[in-house]
Amino acid sequence: MNGQSDIAIEFAHVDYVVDDKRSLLADLNLSIHRGEVLILLGRSGSGKTTTLKLINRLLDPTRGEVRVENVSTQQWDAIRLRRSIGYAVQEVGLFPHYTVEENVALIPKAERWGKQRVADRVEETLALVGMPHGEFAKRYPHQLSGGQRQRVGLARALAADPPILLMDEPFGALDPLTRAELQREFSLLRKRLVKTVVFVTHDVSEALLLGDRIALMEDGKCAGVFSREEFLGPSDQRVRAYLDIYRLNSRSLEH
Amino acid sequence: MNFLEFVSKHRAEILTLSLEHLTLVAWSMGIAMLIGIPLGVYLTRHPKVRGIVLGTNNVVQTIPSLALFGLLLPVAWLGARADRLTVTALALYALLPIVRNTYTGVSGVDPAVLEVAKGMGLTQREMLWHVELPLAAPVILGGVRVAAVITIGVATIAAAIGAGGLGEFIFRGLAMVDNNVILAGAIPAALMALIADGAIGIVQRMIQRPR
Amino acid sequence: MMNRRRFLGSVGLLLTAACSRRESRVSVGTKNFTEQLVLGELLAQITEPRVHLPVERRFYLAGSYICHQAILAGRIDTYIEYTGTALAAILKEPVRSDPSEVFEIVRREYERRFQLVVLPSLGFNNSFALAMRGEDAHEKGLTKLSQLAAHAPTMRIGVGYEFLEREDGFQGLARIYGLQFAASPTVMDLGLIYRALQAKQVDIVVGSNTDGLIAALGLVVLEDDRHYFPPYDAVPIVRPEALREAAGMQAVFDALAGRISTNDVRRMNYAVDGEKRDVVDVVRSFRESKGL
Repeated sequence: MNGQSDIAIEFAHVDYVVDDKRSLLADLNLSIHRGEVLILLGRSGSGKTTTLKLINRLLDPTRGEVRVENVSTQQWDAIRLRRSIGYAVQEVGLFPHYTVEENVALIPKAERWGKQRVADRVEETLALVGMPHGEFAKRYPHQLSGGQRQRVGLARALAADPPILLMDEPFGALDPLTRAELQREFSLLRKRLVKTVVFVTHDVSEALLLGDRIALMEDGKCAGVFSREEFLGPSDQRVRAYLDIYRLNSRSLEH
Repeated sequence: MNFLEFVSKHRAEILTLSLEHLTLVAWSMGIAMLIGIPLGVYLTRHPKVRGIVLGTNNVVQTIPSLALFGLLLPVAWLGARADRLTVTALALYALLPIVRNTYTGVSGVDPAVLEVAKGMGLTQREMLWHVELPLAAPVILGGVRVAAVITIGVATIAAAIGAGGLGEFIFRGLAMVDNNVILAGAIPAALMALIADGAIGIVQRMIQRPR
Repeated sequence: MMNRRRFLGSVGLLLTAACSRRESRVSVGTKNFTEQLVLGELLAQITEPRVHLPVERRFYLAGSYICHQAILAGRIDTYIEYTGTALAAILKEPVRSDPSEVFEIVRREYERRFQLVVLPSLGFNNSFALAMRGEDAHEKGLTKLSQLAAHAPTMRIGVGYEFLEREDGFQGLARIYGLQFAASPTVMDLGLIYRALQAKQVDIVVGSNTDGLIAALGLVVLEDDRHYFPPYDAVPIVRPEALREAAGMQAVFDALAGRISTNDVRRMNYAVDGEKRDVVDVVRSFRESKGL
């Protein structure tokens, strides 16, 4: 592995084709900087989830190369790669037959951390995501609200303290109030933790709120990567479409 | 003498034979689960073999129990001792429901959950232990339940080849033409099956958490 | 996970309970015909006072194989077997006709192969027997089978189906003793042979030596002086553990060895089958008469 380069994750001419016919990604080129929060923004079917899954090797590129820490995903040991990457998804994430504690402790235990270290870490991460340990540790996912489940999902992704975090529309299934709450907490959290985060969403306001840079995904291609300012400024036509929706929404809220 | 008096008078014997019966059942169920559950899991990983394995299992199940005992009798090490033979035959019968249900249960686990588990970095073995088996457990237990009831029932026939158990009462009662004796074997066996069925059913419900 | 462990735990517990050794009682087994029930009851009644342990009666086991399995597994401690059956059906050795030779082979092989003890005969032989009407036998002066050849052409013989079919059955008998009967054997249900004999439908039948009706009807059994039929001496088979751990057990068998004659058994069989008396009573009367 190379020394400290600025690029944590890189996509080089990546194609992803399914069943020899459907092309979900076509010639994707993208560089993700260490420590930034990169949003993958786009409609359903634009290829953003596919892009995410190529990073932790749930999928392999049909063509081109995905590099994590300057090493091709194909050369990484898949298990080691995935354990260096936190993975938080919508809804389906938590294992229903394990308590909150057991869910969060899963990877640390698999990594053979000592019993005490695991217990401490579980307490720490739950506190980090705003779930007081005493109250929630022994509850089962079905006994939690949607928001609480997402917090635990995030805690689980953070448990082994991975340098990279992948999040696939984690707040998508929540009601607007809870979503706003979690978004707020996430941006606070993100300032405390230095991690490279790749965040998938179709929600423009969420993208603008949480992201350092926004990668616009359209038809399996990256249509451009913009900083917040660039995104809000007068520019791209494609961006304009998204922006209009955003403005529409925020204006309606002002009333 | 009425049946209850009979049971009271012979309770030591009834207990002895019941324990013998249970031993036969316990051994066969143990073996069937030890082989059947891994086999069921194996079938989920190797779907090509599924047809042969399940097909063979099916054939074995179709053979009438007494016939299966008879077929195994000449087999050297097995036929020498009735208990060995019986446990083998019973285990063969218990195998199909267990293998089939394990296969169904494990392959029925939500692929989305498995994907998350994989994405988190769990190995195949860890996924099996932490995700697939626990989530498939209610279905697997369903197979165990069916197998247990079958085994308890077929074990009564084992007395015909000298394995002891509650069937001995039944055969003795038939020879003596004495209903009390027959019932002393039949009723505990039936009770055993009902209890096993009920108990495993309770466990099934307990582990079936609302999602 | 928890539940599976709990389940396996309870199974383990059950197994240990079931496997615990039970020398707290003596278990006597029998096959499922009258003679066996009589002998088993006799064993049980004699054991109780001597051994001071409860005696369990596991009667009506359906055959030699089942009794053998039961004693191997320790479910019964003893039962009465017939040396010829032990030799052929269980040891699968070729048939011989000398009783002491057969006993010796059985005793030795049971110890070697199964670690089971074979004790001396109770005193009678339950092999095949050719029986004829008492007055006929006396009239013709017949006591041995070797004398039969001269008279056979004027006699009709009745046999059970199995005897006709067996390798060591009718064919061999006719050959060894040079028997040519008036007609080919009349095949009938074993339960009817004596009735047929009495009704003079046949003149000689092949039954079992200890059949109750032989004594009751005053029939004469011709001696198998050329030793065609293999011996079926009634011998106790015992588990050595039972002999060791139940004090007084050896004394039981010592008390019985050689004390039961063929006629004793015939009479007891008849009492149960013919007179329909209770086995327990029949055995008790027998013991009183013999001082057992």
